[in-house]
Amino acid sequence: MTVASPGRNKYVYIHEDHDGPLQEIDVHHILAQKNSTKNSLRCIALILLLAHMCCLMLLKERPGAFFLWNILLVAIVAKALLQASIMKESVVIMRGFGLQLETHFRSGRVVRRFVPFGKVLKAVLNECVTPVTCYWSLALIVRDEPELLLVFQELRLPVKLLVPIWKALRVAIDSKEITDTVKENNY
Amino acid sequence: MVEERRRHRVLMVSDFFYPNFGGVENHIYYLAQCLLKLGHKVVVLTHAYGNRSGVRYMTGCLKVYYIPWRPFLMQNTLPTFFGTLPIIRTILIREKISIIHGHQAFSTLCHEALMHGRTMGYKVVFTDHSLYGFADIGSIHMNKILQFTLADVNQAICVSHTSKENTVLRSGLPPEKVFVIPNAVDTAMFKPAPERLSHQEIIIVVISRLVYRKGADLLVEVIPEICHLYPNVRFIVGGDGPKRVRLEEMREKHSLQDRVEMLGAVPHAQVRSVLILGHIFLNSSLTEAFCIAILEAASCGLLTVSTRVGGVPEVLPDDMVVLAEPVPSDMVKAIQKAIYILPKIDPEAMHLRMKKLYSWHDVAKRTEVVYDRAFRCSSEDLLQRLPRYLTCGVWAGKLFCLVMIINFLLWRLLRLWKPAEDIEEVPDFTPPHHEEEEISANCDKA
Repeated sequence: MTVASPGRNKYVYIHEDHDGPLQEIDVHHILAQKNSTKNSLRCIALILLLAHMCCLMLLKERPGAFFLWNILLVAIVAKALLQASIMKESVVIMRGFGLQLETHFRSGRVVRRFVPFGKVLKAVLNECVTPVTCYWSLALIVRDEPELLLVFQELRLPVKLLVPIWKALRVAIDSKEITDTVKENNY
Repeated sequence: MVEERRRHRVLMVSDFFYPNFGGVENHIYYLAQCLLKLGHKVVVLTHAYGNRSGVRYMTGCLKVYYIPWRPFLMQNTLPTFFGTLPIIRTILIREKISIIHGHQAFSTLCHEALMHGRTMGYKVVFTDHSLYGFADIGSIHMNKILQFTLADVNQAICVSHTSKENTVLRSGLPPEKVFVIPNAVDTAMFKPAPERLSHQEIIIVVISRLVYRKGADLLVEVIPEICHLYPNVRFIVGGDGPKRVRLEEMREKHSLQDRVEMLGAVPHAQVRSVLILGHIFLNSSLTEAFCIAILEAASCGLLTVSTRVGGVPEVLPDDMVVLAEPVPSDMVKAIQKAIYILPKIDPEAMHLRMKKLYSWHDVAKRTEVVYDRAFRCSSEDLLQRLPRYLTCGVWAGKLFCLVMIINFLLWRLLRLWKPAEDIEEVPDFTPPHHEEEEISANCDKA
């Protein structure tokens, strides 16, 4: 098991390489560290929102439309503040079978997606460009899919963390191709 | 001891780049390729074109950032002043850029990149590719913006002496800061026809956008006159635009359907195949800073007839071009003169001369000198730079100062929010050996 946390300890990388009967399973976890500044800002914002709500309740002479608009605004802001924060994202590589992408939220909700190796054409390290920034991402080119499938859906990781996972994926995909070729030659 | 040549890391910025086609796009591409060959790192920054968004690599590992800002007018991004600061800062840091080179006064992205670059203390160079007026409302506004941008550039480049004069007058830039580096032509791409054409039938080729600025109205007057004077002359007109209708009407009116061939829009890859069909190239532009089309035609061995406007007289030697005033009668005389001297023209000799006169490698070498000059300029802080903006006008000067102060504050805020250490630097990719040879060959040919 390997643990690494480069770059301001924003993320922790845990690599589980199983021995024994589970050695065909290779797990890569990325843990998102709790951001105390963000959390305190969230709390302050929520307190201010509650205070705003109370003020609205007390000001009865305001028209109904104004009240509704404010409720709507508060709801939108509250949703943005209470947006599901990520605890960790994992890549479970099952050699010769496929890979499972997992997103663990702090609320306890887990989103899983399984991709069989038969559908994966290539794993690529990609430079993403948005209107405001550039970052590295690890993506899969999947057969019959028009768009790349991001391995880490939510987290924007430094390339130092992506490279070992990318290498592991490449090894798994290449070994799948070799196995397929051997099977084809045998028949 | 000989000082080792400085390796620059250049960010070329313009709203105009491939897959769009034109003089500026070609200039950036060929210049970048030859600078890469000289050992510099070059990255191009432009806006997204349709689905072409994100990072793309071109020949020789030329990296292009197509940032997902959609064009809103004439291939230009919406001017936001500060909206592009985060992305430009990120690219400058991750690519370890040392010089920002902006192209074309029309480009919003170019102006914003130069502004942000100066705020962050980078050396900036600007290339102007066009001529502008002084009197109309659009030009007045454009010139004020140019004055703002050029108030604080380290060096500027123009494509002709006429263009330099125009830029200096419009922007108030000291002439000693402006270099003249003409465009070049890829002579490997524009070769004469393998077999010389017979002079039984003389073919005059016109390839340009059919718009007012390119003198489409002059063509409407000139073509019927020449067809009347010379029964053995035929015209091939390539290009499209709002003035195409007028040319079609002229063709119908004078019954010249068999003598004036309208090709419509001609893709750049097929320009040579159209040029080699003719003997004379006709350029009727009303304003032109340089005109690469003339170079392409001359490289294909065509004798050029052109209007004497802007930087056109500087482009070719006198024996390769016949110049005329932009009036129909004078243009007719110039075409008559060209037809008379046509038998003396040797296309192959003309091509070889063009090969010597205009090479992108030479343009890159001269641009390298400008970069060295820019790099030697002393670094100044905001307070030292602000007085330059105040000279831009009573009210405009104060407004420009305010814009720069806000930009500076936003930059400081960005540094706190996302420190430079958090932005990952990208590795430099060098082209494979065989591709490196290919670039060298292309550069040497060009």
